[in-house]
Amino acid sequence: MPTATGELTTKTMLLNMGPQHPATHGTLHLKLELDGERVVACTPEIGYLHTGFEKLGEYLTYNQFVVVTDRMNYMSPLSNNIGYSIAVEEMMGVEIPPRGQVLRVILAELSRIADHVLCCGLQGMDLGAFSVMLWAFVERERLYDVFEWVTGARLTTSYTRVGGLVRDVPPEFVERVRAVSKKCGEVTDEIERMLADNPIFRQRTVGIGAFTSEQCIAWGLTGPLARSSGVGRDVRRDRPYSGYEAYDFDVVTRSEGDCWGRFMQRLEEMRQSLRIIRQALDRGLPPGPVMAITKKVSLPDKESVWGSIEGLIHHFKQIMPGRGHGVHPGPGEHYSCTEAPNGELGFYLVSDGGSGPYRVRVRPPSLYALQAFPEMLKGRMLSDVVAVLSSLNVVAGELDR
Amino acid sequence: MDYAPLKDRFPGGVLSVAQENGQDAIEVTRDAAHDVLKALKDEHGFDMLVDVCGVDYLKLERPERFAAIYHLLNTQTNARVRVRAFVPESDPRIATASDLWPGAGWPEREAFDLYGIVFTGHRDLRRILMPEGYEGHPLRKDYPLKGRGEREDFPKYEPVENVDWQGQPTGD
Amino acid sequence: MKSGLADILLTTKDKLVAWARKNSLWPMPFGTACCAIEMMATLSSRYDLARFGAEVIRFSPRQADMMIVSGRISLKMMPVLIKIWEQMPEPKWCISMGACASSGGVFDTYTLIQGVDQFIPVDVYVPGCPPRPESLIDAVLKIQEQIEKRQPSAAEVWAQDLQEKAPAKAS
Repeated sequence: MPTATGELTTKTMLLNMGPQHPATHGTLHLKLELDGERVVACTPEIGYLHTGFEKLGEYLTYNQFVVVTDRMNYMSPLSNNIGYSIAVEEMMGVEIPPRGQVLRVILAELSRIADHVLCCGLQGMDLGAFSVMLWAFVERERLYDVFEWVTGARLTTSYTRVGGLVRDVPPEFVERVRAVSKKCGEVTDEIERMLADNPIFRQRTVGIGAFTSEQCIAWGLTGPLARSSGVGRDVRRDRPYSGYEAYDFDVVTRSEGDCWGRFMQRLEEMRQSLRIIRQALDRGLPPGPVMAITKKVSLPDKESVWGSIEGLIHHFKQIMPGRGHGVHPGPGEHYSCTEAPNGELGFYLVSDGGSGPYRVRVRPPSLYALQAFPEMLKGRMLSDVVAVLSSLNVVAGELDR
Repeated sequence: MDYAPLKDRFPGGVLSVAQENGQDAIEVTRDAAHDVLKALKDEHGFDMLVDVCGVDYLKLERPERFAAIYHLLNTQTNARVRVRAFVPESDPRIATASDLWPGAGWPEREAFDLYGIVFTGHRDLRRILMPEGYEGHPLRKDYPLKGRGEREDFPKYEPVENVDWQGQPTGD
Repeated sequence: MKSGLADILLTTKDKLVAWARKNSLWPMPFGTACCAIEMMATLSSRYDLARFGAEVIRFSPRQADMMIVSGRISLKMMPVLIKIWEQMPEPKWCISMGACASSGGVFDTYTLIQGVDQFIPVDVYVPGCPPRPESLIDAVLKIQEQIEKRQPSAAEVWAQDLQEKAPAKAS
């Protein structure tokens, strides 16, 4: 309706996207205020998958919580397992034997590849390239085969324990992982050939959702999102864990910071992960146990349990419930972080000396990514919402815990 | 890193500067928290806020029941520090850090939702993980794990016939 | 061309409708958590669910027959689930995939619904955390069997129960 000065006034429209929506990658609710096709404001609502992991952690023992960590970032459950176990091990001062460390590095990098390939595939699918998603899933199936062969489960692996890994890998591990990683390299190149210079993909992603490095630091973004904006931080290099200082890999950064830059960043990180895996396999797996042999965390072997009183007491103190039994760090607080595929995955543990944590806080990288999402959408259009959201790799399990 | 000068700058505000298991931790009162964080950000170079969370120290001996824990990171020197601001149960308010780091917005909302710690000056402090209208703060130590019956409080599905989309009978 | 009985397909209308329904069960994937990833794997190339007729996955409840609840359902998500279920037209079936949707799973907490079958009718429960894609395919085949045998869906059984308990409402 024209006003006195002859201007046309308009009203903005509220559009609800989600929580049940094919393009929201899980249970996200976006309240979009639209002026025609332009996004004026975006308010994400989360909490649709809140399960109470942190509360549950207070009622479980340290080793039982590993099962819960699987279900947080379900794209790369091994990374979560490893991150949590490292946090408790650092708190207790337990050293992992070299074989356990090398295996953790290989499995962490394989799960990073699984996460990144799916994110790239879903980025393609959301913009219409459905085949890329199917290729990504075929790649993930190959990795699932390896995970199932080693850990027993495709998705919810629960493979680490405080002090190492729950069991050793099968004998043909090195050859099989070498074959799978060679195929991974080919698939990465295929996906890049398919999408990176595709004019439609470029039109939908270049210049969309850009974030500067100062903004990334101010909003707490880490991982591929920060690195694609120029923030050269990687926990594997800056605060090495599990023997990462012995591997030669580049912390790749880009300067664009837009959706296309994030896509290329993830592809490049997959290549660096393959580099690390190749180095680990070429050096060979060191012999020895995969679990630290110390009364604090490990179980004794059966001969000593049945044959000696010390073995029996050691077994009793690890298995039976009770204060001071099982894995129990001394009272104190500790924050530890690892480089999960999404960024810095932190665990803040408060212990009161009991067999379970007093407080478990998970620092989820996806929470900070989605928090900065409305900022990335300033002045963009409705179709860019999907493009930017899929480039963030927001995993609802980690976001809501 | 030496944080002892902070103790002199904020007498009575900084309760202790210690190393916990090799990690720097500064304990502050809730009134000094914002100024200490600002000093750490502007003068000591802690440009990234890694995390904000709440802790309920009900079963442990601490100056107050609640604490807001801030983890800071200096991206240039890789230094990390933990700031623990104790918040009393009777008046659980503390100044927000979201004016210093915009990334603090949602984690503070989560601490409010799950613990009841009110961050004054926050641009949008409402529940983030629990539904609107939920009563209680689930992560407090006196809140039961299995909840207080909210998870059974839903209507059983009843198919309706001969009503239109607005629920009015169609007269068939 | 020779004409004869062999050229005409003879069947009962019932059988034809059941055959059509069971071979074109369009799923409404209500995926929330880890089970959703396994459901996506089932719908992808290796364990292709489209072989069994579940081709159209359009996330629109109005055009779906079968809802696959995959993943944990929290307090905030339950009203959404109920609304989507109500929006699906009859006949409809429901698969509760995974331990969390069937019974709350690993998580007996303040915010998780301990089994969606308390509030919506479920035809097939798929155990597992997450179930393997083969288990999900087995669940879809079980529903197909149920349709073939002309057994009532859980939604119809619930409706019947309600009618029996409140006959006054019908008049």
